[in-house]
Amino acid sequence: MSAISASEKVDGFTRKSMRKAQKQRKSQGSSQFRTQSALVELSPLPQLKDVPSTEQQELFTQKLQQCCMLFDFMDSVIDLKSKEIKRATLNELVEYVSTNRGVLVETAYPEITSMICTNIFRTLPPSDNPDFDPEEDEPTLEASWPHIQLVYEFLLRFLENPDFQPSIAKRYIDQKFVLQLLELFDSEDPRERDFLKTILHRIYGKFLGLRAFIRKQINNIFLRFIYETDHFNGVAELLEILGSIINGFALPLKAEHKQFLMKVLIPMHTAKGLALFHAQLAYCVVQFLEKDPALTEPVIRGLLKFWPKTCSQKEVMYLGEIEEILDVIEPTQFKKIEEPLFKQISRCVANPHFQVAERALYFWNNEYILSLIEENIDQVLPIMFGSLYRISKEHWNPTIISLVYNVLKTLMEMNSTLFDELTASYKADRQREKKKEQEREELWEKLDELQISHSGLAHSNSHMLHNANANNNNVNNNNNRGGGGPPDAAQNEDMEVDAPAPPVPAEGPPGLY
Amino acid sequence: MDAFKLMKELRANYEQEGYYIPKETGLNLIESTEQNGAGISAKCRDAQVEDLWGLSSFFGYSTQTFVLAVNLLDRFLALMRVQPKHLSCVGLSCLHLAAQRSAPDATLSSGHELIRIGQRRFTASDLSRMEKIVAEKLHFTSSAVTPLTFLHLYHQVALGQSPSRKEVLSLEKLEAQLKACLRCMSFSKAKPSVLALALLRHEIKAIQSEDMWEMTCHVQRHLKIADAELQCWAERVARCLSDYASPRCSRPNHKKLLWVVSRRTAQNLQSSSCSVPDLPTIPEGGWDPSQSEDSSEDLSSGEESLSSSLEGEGAYFPLHLRRRR
Repeated sequence: MSAISASEKVDGFTRKSMRKAQKQRKSQGSSQFRTQSALVELSPLPQLKDVPSTEQQELFTQKLQQCCMLFDFMDSVIDLKSKEIKRATLNELVEYVSTNRGVLVETAYPEITSMICTNIFRTLPPSDNPDFDPEEDEPTLEASWPHIQLVYEFLLRFLENPDFQPSIAKRYIDQKFVLQLLELFDSEDPRERDFLKTILHRIYGKFLGLRAFIRKQINNIFLRFIYETDHFNGVAELLEILGSIINGFALPLKAEHKQFLMKVLIPMHTAKGLALFHAQLAYCVVQFLEKDPALTEPVIRGLLKFWPKTCSQKEVMYLGEIEEILDVIEPTQFKKIEEPLFKQISRCVANPHFQVAERALYFWNNEYILSLIEENIDQVLPIMFGSLYRISKEHWNPTIISLVYNVLKTLMEMNSTLFDELTASYKADRQREKKKEQEREELWEKLDELQISHSGLAHSNSHMLHNANANNNNVNNNNNRGGGGPPDAAQNEDMEVDAPAPPVPAEGPPGLY
Repeated sequence: MDAFKLMKELRANYEQEGYYIPKETGLNLIESTEQNGAGISAKCRDAQVEDLWGLSSFFGYSTQTFVLAVNLLDRFLALMRVQPKHLSCVGLSCLHLAAQRSAPDATLSSGHELIRIGQRRFTASDLSRMEKIVAEKLHFTSSAVTPLTFLHLYHQVALGQSPSRKEVLSLEKLEAQLKACLRCMSFSKAKPSVLALALLRHEIKAIQSEDMWEMTCHVQRHLKIADAELQCWAERVARCLSDYASPRCSRPNHKKLLWVVSRRTAQNLQSSSCSVPDLPTIPEGGWDPSQSEDSSEDLSSGEESLSSSLEGEGAYFPLHLRRRR
C-alpha cells in the first residue's frame, strides 16, 4: 500500500483523481505465465458422440489429459489454434458429463480431478492495483477465463451428476483440495468467485466428512481478515454459503456455532469494507437469531459495543441491520435490550448526518416495531423524548423535522399522559438550567464587584497621589473587565465563595493587605 | 391580584362568555351528522383537534393558543356549513390565527412551515384567505373568553392567600387536562365558566383540600352557577379524564402520516429489502437433499457429531498420532 498522508485521507478527491489518471489500460491478470519448453500443438481428437460406446471411456480420458495443457492468455495471438481446440474439448466434456449417465466410472475420478486441479489451482497474482477499492474500481479479470470458466462449469456438473459418489470422490476431493479451493476465493474476478461459491456449497453438502474442516478453515480466513490483513475478496461469497449452512443448523445449537457467531461474525462488523458484504453478514446474524432467540441479547450488545463512531455510512448499515433484527425479535427478548438499544437510537436520531437520522427515524414506519414500542412505551418514551424534542427545534434538515413530527405524533397518540408529563418535566428541566446559568452569571458579576472594591481599598491607604492613580487604574480595570464578561464557569456549581476581607475604612490599620 | 379584583374580573368575563360559545344548533347538527356523510361529523372535528394539538405541541405553542384555536374552530363550524375537504384548511387557519394573536413576539412559524409539517395539500395563500374568512365571520379581533381564561382566574382564587400552594394545585396539570377535554366535541357545548370550574373541582377533590373546595363553592355562588349544570359537567369531565389517565394506549393509525425520506435513504431501503439468498439450505448432519441414496456412506449422522468433536482438531494431527489415541 502506498503511503497516504493524513491530509490526503481527509480530502476525498486526491486519491481517486490520481488513480483515474493513472489507469490507462483495462487490466487483465493471470498467473499462468507458462511458456512451454516446446510449443506443443494440440491434435484434435474425434468427437465423443461419434465414437462407439466401448471406446468412449478411453477417449474421455484422453481428452481429459489433453486439457491438462495450459496456455498463456496474456499474449493474445499465440497458440490460437490449440487454445480453440482446448476450448471446444472442454465444452464437449461439459456436455458429456451433463447429459450422459454411466460416465463416472471409478477410474474416471482421478483423471477428472487431476485435470481440474491442474487448471484452476494456481497462485493468484498480486493485484495490479494496490489501492484497489472494490466499490470504485473495475476488478482485474482473469485473462484465461475462456478456459477456466469451462473447467469450473465441468467441475460443477461433475459434482451434480446423479452418478456422483462421494465415497469414491473423497479420495481425491480431500482437505488439500478444499484448502486450495478456499484460497482461490481471494480472486478479484467476481465470475470466478461466483463459481467457487456454488462449488464449495455443493462440496459442503455432499462430503459430510469435510464439513467441520471447511467450517474451521473459513473461520481462519475470517479471523485473519478481521485482525490481520483486512483484505480478502471472497468474504461475501463465503458468507452466502454460511447463510445456507446456518439456515440448516439443528436445534439446539451447538456451542461451536454460537462461538462462531460471537467471536467471528460480530467482530466482522468492524471491518473497513463492511459495505461489500454487509447484506450477507446481516442475513447470517438474523438466521442465527431465528434459530435461537436467546442469542438476541448478546448479539445486540455486541453490535452496540462495536457501534461506529466516526463512519456515518457504517452507522446507516448498522441501523438497517438492527431493523432486520427487530423484525424477528421476540417480545421477551426485546424487553431485555430495549434500554441500551433505544439510548443508542436516540443518539442516532439526533445525529447531524441526515442519513443516519433519517434511517433511525424511519423505524417508526415499521408496524411490528411500533407494536413493540407500544407495549413498552413507559420505558421507551422517556429515553427518546429528550433528543426528539430537542432536534425538533434545532436540526438543520427540514425533512428530518417532518419525520420527527411524525414520530412525536405517533408517540403522543400512544400515551398522551406520559407524553404530557415528559413535556412538562423537560420544560421544567430547561428552566432550571437557565436559572442556574443566570445564577452563575450573577455570581461572577458579584465577584467582580467585590474584587474591584477590594483592590480599591488596598490602594486607599497609600498616598493621595497613588490614590488618584489607583482610582484611574480601577476605572480602567472596570472598563476592561466589562468588555470581557465573566469567564465560562462550566465546572464548579457549588463553588465556595471565599468572602474577601471586609472593606476597612481608610483610617484603619496601615498596610496589612 | 387581590380577591376583590379577581371577583370583579370573573364577573366581567362571565358576562362576556356568551358571545364566545359556539352556536348550539350548529353543534347539534355536527353531532348528528354521520361519519362519511355530506358534512362534518363529530369524529372529523375530534380528529382535526387532535391534529391541532399535535402541531401546537410540536411548535411549542402555549395552551392559550391551542384553546383559542379550538374555540375559533368550533364557533366557525357551528356557524358555517363546511365541507369535509376544507376542514383541514379551516383547522390550520384557526391555529395560525390563534398563534398570531396570542404570542406575536414568540417564535412564530410561518404558514409555510405549518403546512409542510402538517402535511397539508393546500398553499399558503389558501391559508391566508381562509384566515380572513374565519376572522370576518367570527368578528375575531384579538382574543376570546375561553375556559382557559376562567381556569387561570379560578386558580388564582383557589390559591388565595398562600401562593405556596402552587405545588399542590398545579396549573400545568390543569391545563393539560383541559386540553384533553377539549379534544372531545361534547365539551364545546359547555359554558367556559362551568367547564373550568368542573375541572378545578375535579382536581381539588383528588388532592382533597378542604379550604380550596370552599373557595370554589364561594366562586360558584358569586357567579350564580346552577348546581345541576355543574354536576352534569363534572361527571362528564370525570369520565373523560379517567380515559385520558388510563395506561391503555391507543395505537395510532399511522398510515395517515406521510413518511418522506431523501432519495439516498429510499434507495438504501429498497436494496436492503430484497436480500433473498439463492443457495439452498444445507441441513446439518443430514444429506444434501439432491444427493441420491448411497449405501456405502454408512457413517451418516454419527459422523457429524464425530466430526465436530474429533475432526475439528483431528485434522491437524497426522494419521499415525490419531490412531494412538
